[in-house]
This record gives sequence, C-alpha cells and structure tokens, in this order.
Amino acid sequence: MTWRPTPGEPARPTAEVTNLPLAAVRGLAQTNWTLAQWQQLFPVYAEQGSVLADVELPPMVGDYRVIAGTLRFTPRFPAEPGVRYRAVFRAARLPGVTDAPEAFLSATFQVPANSTERTTVVEQIHPATAVLPENLLKFYIQFSAPMSRGHIYDYIQLRDKTGAAVELPFLEINEELWNPAMTRLTLFLDPGRIKRGVRPLEETGPSLVVGGTYTLVIDPAWQDATGTPLRTGFERTFRVVPPDRTPPDPAAWKLTAPPVGTRQPLRVTFDEPLDHAILQRVLRIIDPAEAPVAGTGELSEEDRTWSFTPTQPWRAGEHHLHVPTAIEDLAGNNIGKPFDVDLSVPPAGTDPSTNARVILPFLVQ
Amino acid sequence: MKLSTSLLSLTTAGSLLTLSATAANWTAGFQSGKPALKSISQLAFGPDGILFVADTKAAAIVALETGDTRQAPDGGTVKIEGLAQKLAALLGTRPEDILIDDLAVNPLSHQAYLAVSRGRGPTAVPVLIRVTAGSQLELVNLDTIKFSRAELPDAPIDGVVGDPKRQSNPRMESITDIAFLEDRVLVAGLSNEEFSSTLRAIPFPFKTVANGTSVEIYHGAHGRFETRAPIRTFVPFNVGNQPQLLAAYTCTPLVQFPLSDLKPGAKIKGKTVAELGNRNRPIDMLVYQKDGQEFLLLANSSRGVMKVNTDKIETVDGIAQPVPDGKTQGLKYETVSGWTGVDQLERLDAKTALVVRHTENGSINLESLPLP
Repeated sequence: MTWRPTPGEPARPTAEVTNLPLAAVRGLAQTNWTLAQWQQLFPVYAEQGSVLADVELPPMVGDYRVIAGTLRFTPRFPAEPGVRYRAVFRAARLPGVTDAPEAFLSATFQVPANSTERTTVVEQIHPATAVLPENLLKFYIQFSAPMSRGHIYDYIQLRDKTGAAVELPFLEINEELWNPAMTRLTLFLDPGRIKRGVRPLEETGPSLVVGGTYTLVIDPAWQDATGTPLRTGFERTFRVVPPDRTPPDPAAWKLTAPPVGTRQPLRVTFDEPLDHAILQRVLRIIDPAEAPVAGTGELSEEDRTWSFTPTQPWRAGEHHLHVPTAIEDLAGNNIGKPFDVDLSVPPAGTDPSTNARVILPFLVQ
Repeated sequence: MKLSTSLLSLTTAGSLLTLSATAANWTAGFQSGKPALKSISQLAFGPDGILFVADTKAAAIVALETGDTRQAPDGGTVKIEGLAQKLAALLGTRPEDILIDDLAVNPLSHQAYLAVSRGRGPTAVPVLIRVTAGSQLELVNLDTIKFSRAELPDAPIDGVVGDPKRQSNPRMESITDIAFLEDRVLVAGLSNEEFSSTLRAIPFPFKTVANGTSVEIYHGAHGRFETRAPIRTFVPFNVGNQPQLLAAYTCTPLVQFPLSDLKPGAKIKGKTVAELGNRNRPIDMLVYQKDGQEFLLLANSSRGVMKVNTDKIETVDGIAQPVPDGKTQGLKYETVSGWTGVDQLERLDAKTALVVRHTENGSINLESLPLP
C-alpha cells in the first residue's frame, strides 16, 4: 500500500493498494457500495494529533476506484500542509476473499507545513486623519496580504487615552465585511451609538466622545490567510471633534482643469475628507463626446484631494465629473442628506433618492 | 434560514392548498450541473426540499433541488459534540480551518444542513453538509445537482474605467440573512463600503430578466430622527392571513412591517415593537407556537437567547418616545436560562429547536433543545 501523486493534481495524492487477489477484484466489481461501505474496507483519516480523539473521528470523503487490480482512494479535497493523512486497509473486509488476514495495513502521507515566517502587516487604516468626528461611521483596515475570517473582533481594540478599552464600540457581525481578496476589512462603528434617539446611544453614549483621544489597536496575533500571525501590530491615535452632520457640498469643491493635449491630472479638492473606498470606486469623467474617460484616480491629502490621470491626452472642450450622491463623508453623510435626518428641520438641497448624481463641469483648453 | 416558520404559519393560516397547487412548478427552469458556488453565506429552505443558498462572493442566490423531500415525523433528536473536529476530519483539514456559517432545517424531513467553509482565507472552499438520521455528517454533492440561480439586483455603481491598478471591484455586500416567503426570496445585506439598508425581494421560480425589487429600510427614532437601518436578521411570520416580517436592525430595535410594503423603490420604516438596547447583537430568530400562544426566540451574542411573546404584536403601540434608562417598552422579553453560547438557531420541528453552540471548553456542538 502506498501514497502517490494524482496525475495532474499533485495537491491531491492518491492512496492505493496494489496486487489485489483476482477474487477480490471480481468481488469488488460486483458490489455497488456506498461511500460508508468503502470506508469500512479502506478508510482514510485526517489526523488531529491525539490518538484518543482521533478514534472518534469519521474518515475523509473521496472517490474509490478499482483499476487493473489496484484499489485507489482520491480525497475530495487537496491535502493541507502540515496535516497527516492515514490510510488503513482491512483485507478481511474484501468481498469474495475468505482467507484474508485480520491484520490491517496502514500508510501515512504529509505535505510539509507552511513556513511560519510572519510577513503580513497592516498597511494603512483609513481615514488617516489625526482628527475624526464623534459620529465617525467606519474604518477601513488595509492589509499587505489576504487575511483569515472568524473571530476577527478579538483582535481589534479601541482604547481611550488612559489605555482602557472602550466597550463594544464596533458593529460586530459574523459575516465580517471583507473585500473579495480579503485584504481589506470594513469596520463600522456601532450605528446604535451614533444614531440620535436610539437606545444604546442614550444609555451608553457614543463610542467616541468629543475632546477625547483614542487609539485603534490591531493585535499582531491576528492570522493571515496562511494561518500565520501578523509581523507586527498596528496603532492609530486620533483626537475626536464634534459630530459632523453637514452633508458634503460639491458646489464648494475646487476643480483644477488640466491643459489640453497633456496627460496632466485633473485635481479635485473636496470641502472635507470623504470616504476612501467609495471615492475610489464611483467617480467618473465624461468627455465632450459623452464617452467615459479611461485613466487612474488617486486620493491624497488624507482623502481631501482626488487626482485623475487619463490614459490618453485630454481632448479640448467641456468635460464632466459625475459624482453619485451616495458618496459619504467620514460620518456617513451623503450629498444632500445627513446620516441621520432630523425631521424637525426642513430639508435643504438635493435629496439623493431623487437625484442619483451631481455633475460638475470643467473646461479643458 | 427561515422558511420552516413561514411554512408553518402559512399552513396554520390555511394557505397550504395554494402551496400544493403550485408545488409542481417550483423547479421549472432548473438546470442540471454544477452551480459553481463561490461562497455559502446563508441558507433557507423553500418548498419541496428546495434549499436557497446565498453566495455573498458571487452576489447571487442559488436554489438547489436537494431531493430531500420525504416527510418525517416530529420528535427526532440531534446531538453532535466536537462539530468542528468532525467536519475537519470529514473534509481532510484542521479543526481551526472550519467555519460554520449557517444552519437550516428542511421542514419536510427535519434534516439539518450546515453551510461550512473549508478554510478561512479568500481561497476557502464552501461546502454543504447534511446531518442525517443518527447525527451523521454527510457532504452534499454539488457537482451534479438541479439548480437555478438569480443574480442580486442593483449591482454596485462602478466609476473610473480602465484603471490598471484596480484588479477587481473591492465592494462586496455581505448577505446577512435570507428567507423564503410565499413566492419570493427575501435578502438582507450589508455593504462593505456605503451604509446601505437594502432589503431585496426576488420572485421564485427565478426569472432570467426581471430579478426583483429593492427597498430601503429606515429607522425612525421617536418621530424625529430617521436613518438607514441595515437588517441583521429577520423572520417571516403571519398575523392573521397577512405575511409580515420581524427584523432586528443593526442599531438594535426589533421592527415589524407587512410584506405588502415591499414595493419597488419603497422606503420602509416599520413599527418598532421592542427596543432591545445596548450590547444586543442579534444573531438568529425563529417563531413558534406553544400552548396556543406565539413566541419569538432571538439568539443574541452577548445576552443569550431571548424569548418574546408576540401574541399582542398587532396591538402593541409602536415605540415612538425615548425609552428611559433601564426600562423597556413594547413587547416584553425574558432570557431563556441554560441556552448559552448559541451561534445558530433554527426550528427542528414544532416542539424542538436546533442550535449550534459553543461551550466554555471551546467545543462546538450541534444539539436539539425543547422549545421553551
């Protein structure tokens, strides 16, 4: 009995028993066994390192085949580095064979464990400003490599200036808000402690209190996607200023138009820092022929400025910057609509539910 | 998951005939093959053993024909200790690389299904596990199965084109709960970028073009403040003959609104029937009847399992004024003693709940418990 690589699939090794007696081959050919019955004859186990506990564990799922006198088990899933797999062959369970020995054969297989060198770090936390509003809605934590899911809130702490942890400052949801690559985590502050008139805010107060200094602390024990802890932790200290209940106002933005025929960037300076992720995704430039302009957008000055460099030189004429009203500032205020609308105050400006975007013209000449 | 409750409610409301009449059509348009799931985030059973799978990574809902349609009597029990270890053994990996993302129970067979992630990183493989009679774990073969798929309506806005530095859209909407009610799949989610509060209703059987309506959910506090309110978990139930949703918002109120409110472009506020207050992080809900009364069970990460009598839900006044410190208004609730560490909560049958719970020594168990 041996383990050997599966052709074309080195990560899924096959366990096989060769030279089966002819009677056994005939016997197996006549069976229509379920997986559970195959597992009586030739179970394969993923060991968990404790003989006592391992006895209780079910065998692995996989495919059983008999080809040219050889019984093969191919696991359903690839072998995991560091896990030891044990195949057990019980010849006495072979159909059509009466004189098989009671003893069983066993063979193990193991892929070397992954390197435990710590390489992943927190690259940045947005917003990166030293001053944040009391009603800050979210942080984005950007990692240098994919991370792992599960119990992530154990590794994130908000501390006040005495070093004491703020109790439950974040919205903790089991689904966890990652990007598909799992290199960026979105961390919402508990909206129940931001929204006015909601019980947690009235009972416990906001997670961030104006005038306070806080540090967001990332624990280096947090594991990346390979199961290796971070190389170092990360800390971001900031001061808290009064809540921002004023929606962003594109009329106050400054657009610096680039010269025609060049690939110099269009610069847009906002009236306040805006949401890092949304800005990078939703802004769009339309040329005089109504076609979208291809290029690269970049945020700078702590998300107060957006520079757009076109792939092709600028054409002459009036261009337009399309800004969805759904963009948010750091407190989740949309264009024309604050995060929590005070119905006792008459509405001002655009209602995002009726206007999907604001269009800002700029002239390239 | 949530269908078992709604099916029961519909049955008790006398609508079973409607369901049976259309039963033959539920799998119309299903195709046979591999549904190629990128993730299995949430599960909910529909009629005839159809299992709805929310695939957060693919922004899609997939309906699977499980073939698990044999009606079983109530009264079964389930007990599996060391669930992560057993799943890891079955799937050939380490227990720490197993995540249990959801639990659903087929209302016909009372068999439980688990959404399991084999791995914790971006290359994790989603698997569907069936818990068979005798509390055995079995991998559901998704290589060849009859299925139907609906993309989530309202794909995110995407701006700048041709940016070589952007390899993929980093925006993702985590589906926080799904349910099947009457003829649609309801989907609640939370975006990893904008603070959205979209609840979607996708007609089932899925159609190729028109794929449903979206409404924005709002929370109105004390008649004065109004904010978008993402739903963390919800459960359909009937009041009389009228289907309703009971939803727990991320900002903690428990809110009720009729299903008929889900009209395209609607802005739904609902009636706040309980303010559960701070440290309340709802995970799962189910509704049931006992001794002629209606109850809601709400699993909660920091407060244990709460039991709410919903008999008076129609007559209770919506909470419109601030609730003073330490006081509660609206529906009354109690904490169910002994139900600790509950991470997933489902109804196994009319008298029994099924929970995934963690114990103090770190073991994860699947077990049935009599409904309190």
